Amino acid sequence: MLLVDNLEMAIGGKPILDDVSFAVEQGQTLCIAGESGSGKSSLLKAINGLMPARFDRLCFRPQTHREITHEGQWHGKPGLRGSRWVMQDPIAALNPKLTLGRSIGESIYSKKPNAADLASATATALADVELPPAMAERKPSEVSLGQAQRACLARALIARPTLIFFDEPLSALDAIVQKQIAATMKRIQERYRITFVIVTHDLGFAAAFADQMLVLRNGKVEAYQPAQSFFEAQASRYCVDLVDAARDLGSLPQAAEGARNQAEVSL
Amino acid sequence: MTVAESSVLAEQVDLKQRLQNRSLKRFITGVCAVLVVLGALVCAGFFLTPYAPNTPDFLNRLSPPSVAHWFGTDQLGRDVATRLLYGGLWSVGLALLITVFGAIAGTIIGLAAGHFGRVADATLMRVTDSFFAFPELIAAITIAGVLGPSTANMVLALILVGWMRFARLARGLSVDIAHRDFVTQAKLNGLPSRLILWRHILPNIGPSLLVLWTNSWSRTILSISGLSFLGFGVQPPNAEWGAMLLDGKAYMQTAPHLMIFPGLAILVSVLAINLTGDRLRDLLGSGSAT
Amino acid sequence: MTIRTFRLSGPLGSLAKRLSGLMAVLFGVSFITFTMTYFAPGDKAAAIAHARYPETQSFPPEILEGIREEFSLNEPFLVQFFQWLSRFVQGDFGNSFASNVPVWDVFAANITETLTLTAVSLVIGLAAAFCLSAVSVWRPGSLADRLAVALASIGAAMPNYWLGLLLILLFAAHLNWLPAYGTGTPAHIVLPAVTLAFWITASQTRLLRAFFLEAKSAPYIETLRLRGVSESEIFWRHVMRHAAVPALTMIGLDVAALLEGTVIVELTFARGGVGSLLAGAVLSRDYPMILFLVMFFALVYVLINSLIEIIQDALDPKASLLGAAGPAVGKEARL
Repeated sequence: MLLVDNLEMAIGGKPILDDVSFAVEQGQTLCIAGESGSGKSSLLKAINGLMPARFDRLCFRPQTHREITHEGQWHGKPGLRGSRWVMQDPIAALNPKLTLGRSIGESIYSKKPNAADLASATATALADVELPPAMAERKPSEVSLGQAQRACLARALIARPTLIFFDEPLSALDAIVQKQIAATMKRIQERYRITFVIVTHDLGFAAAFADQMLVLRNGKVEAYQPAQSFFEAQASRYCVDLVDAARDLGSLPQAAEGARNQAEVSL
Repeated sequence: MTVAESSVLAEQVDLKQRLQNRSLKRFITGVCAVLVVLGALVCAGFFLTPYAPNTPDFLNRLSPPSVAHWFGTDQLGRDVATRLLYGGLWSVGLALLITVFGAIAGTIIGLAAGHFGRVADATLMRVTDSFFAFPELIAAITIAGVLGPSTANMVLALILVGWMRFARLARGLSVDIAHRDFVTQAKLNGLPSRLILWRHILPNIGPSLLVLWTNSWSRTILSISGLSFLGFGVQPPNAEWGAMLLDGKAYMQTAPHLMIFPGLAILVSVLAINLTGDRLRDLLGSGSAT
Repeated sequence: MTIRTFRLSGPLGSLAKRLSGLMAVLFGVSFITFTMTYFAPGDKAAAIAHARYPETQSFPPEILEGIREEFSLNEPFLVQFFQWLSRFVQGDFGNSFASNVPVWDVFAANITETLTLTAVSLVIGLAAAFCLSAVSVWRPGSLADRLAVALASIGAAMPNYWLGLLLILLFAAHLNWLPAYGTGTPAHIVLPAVTLAFWITASQTRLLRAFFLEAKSAPYIETLRLRGVSESEIFWRHVMRHAAVPALTMIGLDVAALLEGTVIVELTFARGGVGSLLAGAVLSRDYPMILFLVMFFALVYVLINSLIEIIQDALDPKASLLGAAGPAVGKEARL
């Protein structure tokens, strides 16, 4: 449903991304991994039209909206309709002057809902991310980081997207909250069958979610394969090192076989 | 789950923020209360004073402060206290009008520079820089003087030289905020750009503009009375504080009250506005965009 | 994709960028100044005629027309502007309408008064500000600190013409120690200089105090403290070195307020100098003089500001960031 073909990007003559191609199916999860500076976040921005990039084809087929195809480069306003984006730092992603409820409701601005619909949709979204309804009245400065990230998730969910992009959704949070939010994400994906595209440097987290793995290194695709096979046998030296490092740090289980299931248990 | 999440850390953040919000609210309430009381006193003064500000009374020239004339009378026998009251309208009131106008114009220009493309930005900011290059008071003296000394020309001059700081601040802060994640989110969610400016950018630069405005207000009071003192502003017989100082200058040895009270009025009002602005900046500090 | 664009970068590039910005601003300044006088009310030809023949009351239209021809007053606005600008750039500032002598000569005769006043005030004001802020940050929150802060607040709110009048009242009228008005003996400069210095002290105490306090709590100072370096050595050797120079450059950014203060003080004390010159020129509609003086003030302001920004860049990239971020420490202490 999302297809990116031969995307390349350069800033000031310096290549940031080169020949990146992938495709994601409905309800599946693609994890984009790589060290910092490998171009992961730039890739998300390019796909959403926030940074100029060239590609042969970028195609997004949501069930709820018209198909979007861009060829050569991005045309028009940024943002893929039918998708939402959850960012890394929840506090930065929420307007400090607006209540969480208004920030969440703003996500469906283009549908022009009336007040009652908006209130009920906001309440449902808050319930989906396991926040009490009273949170709608709070300002971002009055909630914890984890609660703020849940609000961001609710802001994505309220639009009933078919695809959610996550940019390092857990890295601003501490370990316990990470686990809780990962569990919430899992439940949401199962309940609404939403496609996830997750940028992360945490292979343990990737192992728990990914159907497909895309590893970037210096802007080039180092590996692109099903998660199962990626965690069983890595295609390149770099990927082996990456997985070994994650094992040493304990974020991945030591044994290679059935990595995905085990990681899920450890969640 | 959410109970577990409201960890100690979160509660501390919560508490600190609440305390700050509370002291901010208390401060704003306090300022409003003082303003209401002050306004009531001034209104009462206008109704209760038995004297007119500009009517001479030659039998009572240069009389020192007394029960009948709290701050004495001037060289034409006019009551200084009454004139101070009316003078406040010129000094403080005019300054208020001028700075509000400058703040709005400057903010619009700054926002336009920051958000309507590179050409608009370069042009508008060069214009702003050029206007900024004139020391405010010197430009005001020149404009007011060349056009002919009068209140209207002084107001025009002060408006012409008063908007640039707002333009610079509005542009700088709003460009910074436009790159924040929450604005990116609003863009991706399909909000029209006027709504992004109105709902996301303006409220976040508002506090800083407010602080700058208090600063600008007190500076303009000084400029108005300074220009009037030099003869380029409000003209006699109108009772502007600076113009009163100019009147009183000649009689400083025989009637020092003529120059002490108007000066004190300027000092106190400017000091009060400055201190309010400082406190406001401290209170808004961590919560605002700066 | 191997198109290499020529990009300005590094210190030279930023200097070039600054210079081009400076040129644009200077052009804007001269345009605004000229526009201001061009659209001023009143017949300029009559003003020139009056300056030339002070005895004559009214002039026949032929003479006025001749003057208009001579000074190209009939040309379109833009032609006049560029003619004036090209003469100005070449150093031909024209003759004063009022005295019919070159503007530059009148200016040169007055500038020393102004420079002396500014220099003396700066020395007194900065010395006092330095002492006050040093005492102030020695024990933040102490009585001395609070007094210094209070003095700075009052100084920033004090109309300097009023302060001047009070000083005249006390030292000239009552005590009869010092002369009140005019120029001449060294004693004449005391009261004006103190008046101007008071404002400098107030604004600079605020700034220096903020800079010193920030430097005192910097991480590397904490490290020194942990190592057992004495508090006085920390202040004199480290805080001073890292905070004083950047803080002192800030007064350069405040040069506009300094110029304004100088003009007001000169007028209050009826001293000679460019401030009095400007007021006189404005009142008598002496356009060549007005144009020159306003351009002079703007040029001084713009050039000093750019110079300070370059110095700050060289000193510490962070300092200029601080300056650019402005309101926190810098601009708000003005006036």
